[in-house]
Amino acid sequence: MLNEKGMRSSLQVAPLAVHKTRSSSSLAASASADTIDSQITPPATPNEPQDNGYVAPFANPVFHNFLRALYPFHPDYVASESTVTLPLSAGDIVLVHSIHTNGWADGTQLADGSRGWLPTNYCAAYNPVEMSCLLKALLNFWDLMRSTTLNDSEIFGNQEFMKGIIAGVRYLLDRAGCLTKESPVLQRNDRLRRSRKSLLSELTSLVKTSKRLQDAQRTLGGGGGGSDDDAAADDDDEAINDLVDEMILKAFRIITKGVSFLDLVEEDRSMRLPTLTIPCGAAADTRLAEHGSLSRPASFAPGNAAGRPESRSSCLSSGYLQQGADARRLSQSSLAQTNRLSAISRRVSLVGVPSSSRPHNLVSERLNACHDTFLSHLGSFIGRLQLHAHSRPSLAVAVRQSATSGGDLLVVVDVVCAHSPIRSDAVEQARAAMYHQIRDLVSAARDVLHSAEPGMEDEAIVPHDNGRLLCAATGCVKATGESVAKTRLLIERIGDFEYDFGSGSLGILAEDFGLSDLADIPAEDRPEHRRADLASISESTVSETPTASTAPSVAEDPAEARSRSLSLDKPLPDLPRPDSPVMEEPPAPAQSQSPRDAADAGRASAVSSVSSLRPDLPPLPKISTTSLPGEDYDPARPSAAHEDAEYSSFRSETLTATSAGSARTYLSRDSESSLPSQTSTRASTPDAAQTPKTQPSLSSLSSSQAPTEDDEMEDKMLEKTYAHELVFNKEGQLTGGTLPALVERLTAHGSTPDALFVSTFYLTFRLFCTPVSLTEALIHRFDYVGDAPHIATPVRLRTYNVFKGWLESHWRDESDRPALALIRDFAENKLAAALPGPGQRLLELADKVAVADGTLVPRLVSSMAKTAASVTLAPADAPPPAPSLTRSQAHALASWKSGGAAPSVLDFDPLEIARQLTLMQMAIFCAITPDELLGAKWTKDKTGTEAPNVKAMSAFTTSLTNMVIETILQHDEVKKRAVAIKAWIKIAHQCSLLHNYDALTAIVCALTVTSIQRLKMTWDLVSVKRKEMLNGLEAVVHVSSNYKALRALLHDRVPPCLPFIGMFLTDLTFVDAGNPSTRTTSTGLTVINFDKHMRTAKCIAELLRFQIPYRLAEVPDLQDLLSAQLEQAQEQEKAVANAQAAQFRKSKMLEPGDAQLQQLRNPVDGTLGGGMFSWMRGGNANNNHNAFPAQI
Amino acid sequence: MPRSSHQPCREFNVVVLGAGGVGKSCLTAQFVHNEWIESYDPTIEDSYRKIVAVDGRQVVLEILDTAGTEQFVAMRDLYMKTGQGFLLVFSISSKASFDELEGLRDDIIRIKDDEDIPIVIVGNKADLEDQRAVDRAKAFSLSQRWNAPYYEASARTRTNVDEAFIHLCRQLLQREDSQDDGAAGPSRPDDSTSRRRRRRRRKEKCPIL
Repeated sequence: MLNEKGMRSSLQVAPLAVHKTRSSSSLAASASADTIDSQITPPATPNEPQDNGYVAPFANPVFHNFLRALYPFHPDYVASESTVTLPLSAGDIVLVHSIHTNGWADGTQLADGSRGWLPTNYCAAYNPVEMSCLLKALLNFWDLMRSTTLNDSEIFGNQEFMKGIIAGVRYLLDRAGCLTKESPVLQRNDRLRRSRKSLLSELTSLVKTSKRLQDAQRTLGGGGGGSDDDAAADDDDEAINDLVDEMILKAFRIITKGVSFLDLVEEDRSMRLPTLTIPCGAAADTRLAEHGSLSRPASFAPGNAAGRPESRSSCLSSGYLQQGADARRLSQSSLAQTNRLSAISRRVSLVGVPSSSRPHNLVSERLNACHDTFLSHLGSFIGRLQLHAHSRPSLAVAVRQSATSGGDLLVVVDVVCAHSPIRSDAVEQARAAMYHQIRDLVSAARDVLHSAEPGMEDEAIVPHDNGRLLCAATGCVKATGESVAKTRLLIERIGDFEYDFGSGSLGILAEDFGLSDLADIPAEDRPEHRRADLASISESTVSETPTASTAPSVAEDPAEARSRSLSLDKPLPDLPRPDSPVMEEPPAPAQSQSPRDAADAGRASAVSSVSSLRPDLPPLPKISTTSLPGEDYDPARPSAAHEDAEYSSFRSETLTATSAGSARTYLSRDSESSLPSQTSTRASTPDAAQTPKTQPSLSSLSSSQAPTEDDEMEDKMLEKTYAHELVFNKEGQLTGGTLPALVERLTAHGSTPDALFVSTFYLTFRLFCTPVSLTEALIHRFDYVGDAPHIATPVRLRTYNVFKGWLESHWRDESDRPALALIRDFAENKLAAALPGPGQRLLELADKVAVADGTLVPRLVSSMAKTAASVTLAPADAPPPAPSLTRSQAHALASWKSGGAAPSVLDFDPLEIARQLTLMQMAIFCAITPDELLGAKWTKDKTGTEAPNVKAMSAFTTSLTNMVIETILQHDEVKKRAVAIKAWIKIAHQCSLLHNYDALTAIVCALTVTSIQRLKMTWDLVSVKRKEMLNGLEAVVHVSSNYKALRALLHDRVPPCLPFIGMFLTDLTFVDAGNPSTRTTSTGLTVINFDKHMRTAKCIAELLRFQIPYRLAEVPDLQDLLSAQLEQAQEQEKAVANAQAAQFRKSKMLEPGDAQLQQLRNPVDGTLGGGMFSWMRGGNANNNHNAFPAQI
Repeated sequence: MPRSSHQPCREFNVVVLGAGGVGKSCLTAQFVHNEWIESYDPTIEDSYRKIVAVDGRQVVLEILDTAGTEQFVAMRDLYMKTGQGFLLVFSISSKASFDELEGLRDDIIRIKDDEDIPIVIVGNKADLEDQRAVDRAKAFSLSQRWNAPYYEASARTRTNVDEAFIHLCRQLLQREDSQDDGAAGPSRPDDSTSRRRRRRRRKEKCPIL
């Protein structure tokens, strides 16, 4: 058992993604039924690397969206009804939706849009630098097409989605040096010229289709989103669906044309520079390789049938390891460690002879494979040690795996020694050294694990122990390198030989290392929650496992059984040999050792068939749907299936139609999914008969455009653009871009830029660039558009307009002044030369700005909000409601003004107090400028000059709270305090009716602070009705669940309304703190994280949309009174170090508190007098304490 | 007392406090933010909720961090009232922010009426060692005086962020366990136990929450 266990753990690890085809024997072993569950377990989520108790793959390889077939793949067994394999020709490009751990990928062939399963070992990742932008654009395009609803005219309306593809093609042509028709390369090479032309025609055709879509959209939009069961609308929908399908196919064709164009370019290059062996793509390849993933073959030209597969076999590293997650999620240190070690092992493995042309169980290969595995385990282990994030179980597992794989390696060394006719002391010494090192490592680990006290936390492995483990592990690496090198020398001397490695011998060594006690630890210590975290994953695996293992034993219709055996147990086919390029039948050894056969023969033999060093991968998991009744795909119900697809991306996998089907069913190629493929493998692959009825035939798609249209596209290609430097999310919203790309979008010629984008840009540009760099970028835009005469004028006008808007409404002299000289210069020279009028006007503006104080054009109140404010305002001619002020109240105010005693605020009508408070606050609120809310100015600035109005707002609110508390605590009589509380509850209620949530928050806060809440006797005098009112009001402004209630109220609140500004200040703070300021594109470009600024702007707009004054009559005297009281409260607050503590002391004096109160209420103690005395000290004697007084 | 994992999830309210500019919002954002979510939206209901596993037990933490509203001094009382555990944050590069902790703790004890409310002290910006203005020894002595754990954390390098929150969580769990076991909590003086119970009883009556 132990043997098996130990071995399995080493098998299921995907070490470093250095599985070359020859080392995959170990994986093949795990296909045996009893290990299938662990085999299917997906890689742990990057966040919790110890999730499954086993070592998780520490280098999460990049998921490759595109693969290119290196060999033709025309399986004979496609006949199976439940499985669709995708025939490939060498050179085909495939868009990958998911990759199963067994190495089969679900993909769409771009050449004809068909979808099915394909073996990844026939392919290599495809992402050459030249094509990267175009490929990225296709992914965006695909995401957009599948995710947007048809009525989303905003997306389809402005054709933004086309820009990426155009920019991608342009980038390709530019990199290839073929941007213009006249380029020397094209002049010289006619094939290249024709290929370029056909690429451009394809693009033209796509652009035209998208215009048709736009038109169809418009007519549909006229219908106005009618009900779905409307037959006419259905027809329209269908027409649009067809258009979308057509566009997707055309986009695919652009890619394939682009690929063949690039192939020609490379061919051309290699002809001219025969010595050039590394194409331009090498840089990208290197980067990919660093992430432990596939590397693209150095050069590949399908036209050259002489492509030598064996030279590439090392590049065929396992596509089946490409599980989705992003490498940057990995912690840096572990990644660095990993890279180093993987580099070592890769180098070593390249020393070995390429595998595909040789027998597979050569000892040298086994040696290399074992060495790779061992090193990668050690690498993972060391990487984790340096992270200091070590739990005991994970440590145990890591050590166990390292030692087991080390054991494997030792077995190989022993075999070589035994086989060798000559005795090599060097090898034996090295072997002994290595053996001792591994023993050291294991015993170090055991000491660490056993010395830990049972009660200690998982993380409590002290640095000292870490050091020891680190030492032992690095010792292992060294000794192993030595040992392997010596062994390799020996092999060279005695000649390589084949050897069938049984599995039985491996575990013995593992036992030698004393692993038994380590083995138990993970099982008992594995915290429960980790399992829970995995629940969803294991559920899916569990549900698969029984069927997989029991299926063969169930007697079934032979035909069905046959089809299942194909679909269940389908290893990846062997790579074709150079002499037989066309793959016919999986070679005999693979067939005979296929796990299904092994399972039939008994598990034990399955285990022993590990020995096979065949270069294939574990079986294709259950693709058949027949054994899963619940998940059956019924071809008769495509529409129902379509609906279902909405709620589960996993299920959508089972519903795959051909690519021409509605794009919305494709939810599988999801780079964010952390369980990429296991879940998807229940998929039934598409039924060939299920192609959509209107799928346009491909031949009909081939373009035949009039020459003028091609010329248009030629012109378009000449437009310099930065569109490929923009980043969009899956909803098609802009989330990032470089400054030139953002500026280009700001001044786009084809479409009016979206209002939110423009306002965000103006508001936040100082956070991501300087005024000078913005000016330069705008001037650059003005310049380069000159290369495209047909759009130069509109773009230049837009550029002028951006300057104009900036100077008129968004100029901030203190920060923007350095740009002024540049702008003047630009206006005087370049702009005036091209557009004299605007040049003149911009110059005038610049002059005005230089002397003006504040912005030239006053900022429109709520200009940022798109809500039609005027609609919601009360009609201007209606008089505001009359103030509710009695004659005597007015008189009291007047006498106060002339030096008399101040009347109490509580003597007035609560409604009027609420109104005047609201007016006063709104005046401050309306003065807040968007700039004050940027970059957390209100917290940073101590002097109050940077965000004066925000500061005034918070000061007002705080003073109001203190004033409320003061008006309650100032009374010694419990009754008067209760009256004050009651009055403030009423005022708060009036504030809520006025939607003044700022004052409401302040008053409610005052009434619920501890100092007030604890006044039990006072509260006893407040009626239940009032208390309930207060409870209701408190619920509105309570902070719980992130101000859920208040947010809901504000969400559709039409002005006038005064929100609680504190909530927005917190939001702004967290938008800033929680989002990085840059993001990295898939092509490695660092761009501005515009999404962050967009969020900031949205938040500010949401706040400032309430900057609409109330139409209420001012009562200046009452406002003066309130101001005076507020000032007094503010001064009182400043006078003491801690106003809240002072209030609390005062409160204690008034009502001394529970201890005494209890004594008071409890006559048994007989200390009534003392208690009474203590709480009456500060009060007066007429308090009615012995009975519940009548409620006020 | 060991608990099985199928017990219902416990929920705790944790309040993050500290002077403005000590980076507490970064600390909180780092803790609650799922790394694989590309952008963080603080305006949704569960922006500040996080399920954590502490010693194998699932706990829902609702974090109240009112960063940005430090000037609303009067509100602090209200925020504190909602908390069951507190993370007191200062910046190791600012002596003033360290000195503010004392007052914060006094307020917490006054408002919660509880001497041994769970508190964790966090010295943030530990990556700015060259700008250190608060001696580690000083922070440790405060930690000992309060009997509250001290972490030096860095939101920027994501050091000790989870650790600090989880430690607080562990304290909350232990406290709840000992309360569930009734007055049997061995180490607690009777006085504080009864006091805490009283507080709890009062809380039930409290019209708020």
